[in-house]
Amino acid sequence: MPPELSGTARSSERAAADRIYYTLAAVIGGIVSIYFLVVPVLDLNIAFHFYLMLWITMASAFNVAAGFSGYMPFGFVAFYGVGAFTTAILVKSLGFPVLLALPFSGAAGVILGLLFAPTLRLSGIYFAIVSLALAGICRLVISNMPENITGGSFGLQLGSRAEPVHSFYVMMAVMLLALGVILWLSRSRLGKALRAVRDDAEAADMMGVNVTRVRLYGWLIAAFFPALCGGVEAWYTNVVDTETAFNTLTTAKTVIYAVAGGLGTVTGPIVGSVVMVWLDELIWRQFPLLNLLILGAATVLLVLFLPRGIVGTVLRWRPEWRRYVP
Amino acid sequence: MEILVLNGIVNGLIVGGIYALIGMSLTLLYGVLRVVNFAHGEFVIGGSFLAYALFSNLGLAPLYSLPVAALAFFALGWGAYYLLLPRLQNSDDPEIMSFLMMYGVSIALAAVMLLIFEADSRSIDYSFTPIAMKVGPIYVSTARIVAFGIVVLLAAALTGFLFRTLPGKALRATIMNPEAIKIVGVDVVKLSAFAFALASAIAGVTGVLVALVFPAFNPFSGAEYSIIGFIVVVLGGLGNPVGALLAGILYGLAEQLATVFLPQAMAPIIGFGILVAVILIRPAGLMGWRAQR
Repeated sequence: MPPELSGTARSSERAAADRIYYTLAAVIGGIVSIYFLVVPVLDLNIAFHFYLMLWITMASAFNVAAGFSGYMPFGFVAFYGVGAFTTAILVKSLGFPVLLALPFSGAAGVILGLLFAPTLRLSGIYFAIVSLALAGICRLVISNMPENITGGSFGLQLGSRAEPVHSFYVMMAVMLLALGVILWLSRSRLGKALRAVRDDAEAADMMGVNVTRVRLYGWLIAAFFPALCGGVEAWYTNVVDTETAFNTLTTAKTVIYAVAGGLGTVTGPIVGSVVMVWLDELIWRQFPLLNLLILGAATVLLVLFLPRGIVGTVLRWRPEWRRYVP
Repeated sequence: MEILVLNGIVNGLIVGGIYALIGMSLTLLYGVLRVVNFAHGEFVIGGSFLAYALFSNLGLAPLYSLPVAALAFFALGWGAYYLLLPRLQNSDDPEIMSFLMMYGVSIALAAVMLLIFEADSRSIDYSFTPIAMKVGPIYVSTARIVAFGIVVLLAAALTGFLFRTLPGKALRATIMNPEAIKIVGVDVVKLSAFAFALASAIAGVTGVLVALVFPAFNPFSGAEYSIIGFIVVVLGGLGNPVGALLAGILYGLAEQLATVFLPQAMAPIIGFGILVAVILIRPAGLMGWRAQR
């Protein structure tokens, strides 16, 4: 076969794979959008679905750091908490309308991400531990700020009327934005560079990838969305305090949901969140007392028996699907 | 002011000794097994609750709980090793997955303690006679002095074990070069199980001492001790027991002296700050290991 022909054959094959990939992405995105759109219309359980979307967004953002870039930020809750407090303070003290305050939450997340950027030099376990400590510092700094700003241990009441349906649709917009960004990232130059740097930073550097910049961009994407989530959740519950906003369980759940689905794919964290949030709801209803214990045990079992997550295990079983599955 | 500073130094040494024990066992575990034990703090608090249960149900004084805790946690650690660790090696990145798994263990253990002992803060209502002793110009509670004595004995025994005995030397050799120790013909699986059991036993004993030294504990205090343990381990250099010993005492001194000069709430920030600064400026800790990419 002449080389020219094989070249076109391969590119047409790739185009076909891309078509399947984007069709699948569109179908999944369409199903997800329509499903969540009709939740308030059909009067389904708004709280359950709100938190489902929140966890999908959180897990997907975590996936950018853990799956695409190879960092395990065990202090992920820092972004969420700072986002929550940004919206709460802007609305409460400066009288911002909520929708105007939310972008500032996202910006606060990005700024915090920039502040934490020097830690990207660290490897594996050091990064995870430092991230944990930084989240601790964030919580302590905010809980020690003057009470008239952050409300001290009582927290902040946003004061505006709670609008569950509005905040529900805003959460949905945030989730779709996050999923869109990650879908783009997974096929973009930046996403490929991120994976290359994750697998072998020196080789990527040799190939002309700006390692520091690529890592920073990935990190900032991962920091932006949890901060937005924090802001929207503050609006939804109308109250923010340091204990819940910086709860380590938020990080735990994010990590577990993302790992349950499988890191490194767009669909992984979605599948993981849907399965785990649904399980969590079932368990919570049956045995509210045992919830923590079951969450812990589920984490251990997950690591031992499904370390690559649901989607990851399927893809390992059928590697040829890898190019079609978003 | 001088009295306050002296007080800070004495308490810093005592608290630092506890931190040093936590750090030594944690770093041993990491060095030999490459397991980042996020549940270490829960092991410690488990020891405190064991002493509490023995005291309130059987009237057993905390000092007698020490050998009970050591045996119980040694057995638990031995069992946990064979239950959890072999399968862990199947994952792509065992080190980071061990962190996640022990995170789950930590949540589960805290939940178990919550179910058994409820969320209230507990303390052991036991006091030595005399209740306090005069050390130079200041008074220190006898419980703290006794605890410090035990810490010194344990640290010395552990160091002696690691440097003087054959199993101890094998443990250090595994930390330095896990491949070579296999070639020499050491049964690494058995040795690892022993390391896990030993680290758990030290954590359990430390928990009894925590109950003597600190005013109270509850099922969720574990995470604090885990994080302090990590700080100490990183300060001392991952997998370096002697480094952890020094770092623990240094950290205790820094924390207690910080409470003399700064508001109480600032002390943990100082601790976290030290950790971040050390990792960023001198990632090898006080004595070496490679941390950066």
